[in-house]
Amino acid sequence: MSGIILEIRELRAGYGRRTVLENISISLAAGEWFVLLGPNGCGKSTLLDCVVGRLRPSGGEIHIGGFPLLQDPYEAKLRLGYGCAPDVLPALLTARQCLEVHAAAKEQVGIGADLLALAEELRFTPYLESFVDTLSLGTRQKLAVLLALVGDPLLIVLDEAFNGLDPASALILKRHLRARTERRGGAILLATHSLDIVEHYADCAAVLIDGKLKHVWPKAELQRLRANQTDFETALAAAIGET
Amino acid sequence: MPAPRLQTAKLMRRNRRDRARVGGALVVLICIALGAMFFLERDAIAPALDALRRHGYVCLGAAAAFSAILVARRRALERVQFMRSWLAAVPVRSATARFEGLLFETLPASAALVVITLLALIAAVATSQLGAVVALWADFSGGVVLGIIIGYLIPAPKPVDLPPGSRYVPHRQVRKSTPIRPSLKALGQWPIRQMFAWAQPKAVARASIPILVMMPVGTMADTAMVVIALFAVVGALLLLWSAAQEQCRLAARWLAPLPVRASAVVRAFLLPAYAFIAGASAAEALLLVVFDVSYRGALMVGASTAVVGCLLFGGALLWNARPRRMQ
Repeated sequence: MSGIILEIRELRAGYGRRTVLENISISLAAGEWFVLLGPNGCGKSTLLDCVVGRLRPSGGEIHIGGFPLLQDPYEAKLRLGYGCAPDVLPALLTARQCLEVHAAAKEQVGIGADLLALAEELRFTPYLESFVDTLSLGTRQKLAVLLALVGDPLLIVLDEAFNGLDPASALILKRHLRARTERRGGAILLATHSLDIVEHYADCAAVLIDGKLKHVWPKAELQRLRANQTDFETALAAAIGET
Repeated sequence: MPAPRLQTAKLMRRNRRDRARVGGALVVLICIALGAMFFLERDAIAPALDALRRHGYVCLGAAAAFSAILVARRRALERVQFMRSWLAAVPVRSATARFEGLLFETLPASAALVVITLLALIAAVATSQLGAVVALWADFSGGVVLGIIIGYLIPAPKPVDLPPGSRYVPHRQVRKSTPIRPSLKALGQWPIRQMFAWAQPKAVARASIPILVMMPVGTMADTAMVVIALFAVVGALLLLWSAAQEQCRLAARWLAPLPVRASAVVRAFLLPAYAFIAGASAAEALLLVVFDVSYRGALMVGASTAVVGCLLFGGALLWNARPRRMQ
């Protein structure tokens, strides 16, 4: 298998007659953490929806682990972990049942020890037997992230996964994701507004404006910004022309 | 082979049952009650069964139409909902996905088949009209099965992939920007708008069916129209009352941190709703006059509706807007 985990080529997508994404091409290599930035309504979640197969793009190609998502969704999704929005989690299932369903779908014999260790670190274990509708927003967010990690997927797709998390849990999760990508050789695609992730954890970043990639910071450029101790907020403003 | 949707549905069913603690005993109890009712009324049921049997094709057609609409609608709805669900990104083999889809899309029609069979069994035991019951069961079940097939032959509507509440949902075009003026006027329109939102044409059509069914054979069309109009007025008032309960509770929570006078909120809510109640009561009185009720009687009923409606609405407003203690 090649070192490319996610390959998006000339992706176009929209809702009804409205085009939201135009000509998006992104490539994620093994071990890379890609952060997608952009103002509200620019199409970040739509892009992620296309990558995880929740929205059928009107054009372009998406390959996950070398498998085309549109032609071979089963093989592509076997290599994918998606942290859905906490509000779509099923209210009438317990957290343990949610994890079991995901594990069964990914043909796992059980929940990995490292995932249970992460749940313990995130202080999630006491909520395993609780129904989803009784969990707080932050706890549901933790569950959504844990679901994304079931089956040790090659590609982890997270949509604003740190929203609602307490700072300690957010830090644990960031370190875990960083360590996981390095150990596993997988990749992370994260849509967020937190610039600290770009500053400290990301390998690549891109800013999406009005459905188009306005600027992409490759690994070398991010490393240069870090080495020069450049404030990323300023770099982002310069990239989108708001200096 | 893992079937996540099915597994989720099974777990949810089990959890719901454990939460509600409603067991099979209730189903058995309902069956026994139905059986007893059929047995006690067997003399009245026999001619009805015969009449239905004579119109077997009508029963079959009605069941088929009902089932086809149900399946076609559910197909479109289930597909859209699944694309938004927490399992959308989970790997499922295409054969399993098709099987799960078929199960979920035909679930209400399959449930209808089970209910028809159960009713037929109870009726056969209780009334001893085996021939008529079997013929009717065959008509209705055949109709439902035929409907399922037709439901799949009907081309599915274009998938609606607009996320609810999204910025992509087409919204009203505002020609020119109007200045924002401080006003509580919108509060009063809130329950009325909620009432209209609930009274969707589909919901109204469904609510009208039992009213039409209840009308005796030979009822004139104009009488039926007046009866439906009366039901519509009463229904609107009930919906308004229900909307007031909900919206006042929400408004109280929303406005609690604001330095707004309770009297101003109450006034904002009451005036438009009272105007609506007065209009509905007048319409009711007018319909009663059309229905050959005396002017005096119609006026009395209209006035009573207005008074009761205003009192109920005001009561609901005050009850739901009352300050609550922290739990």
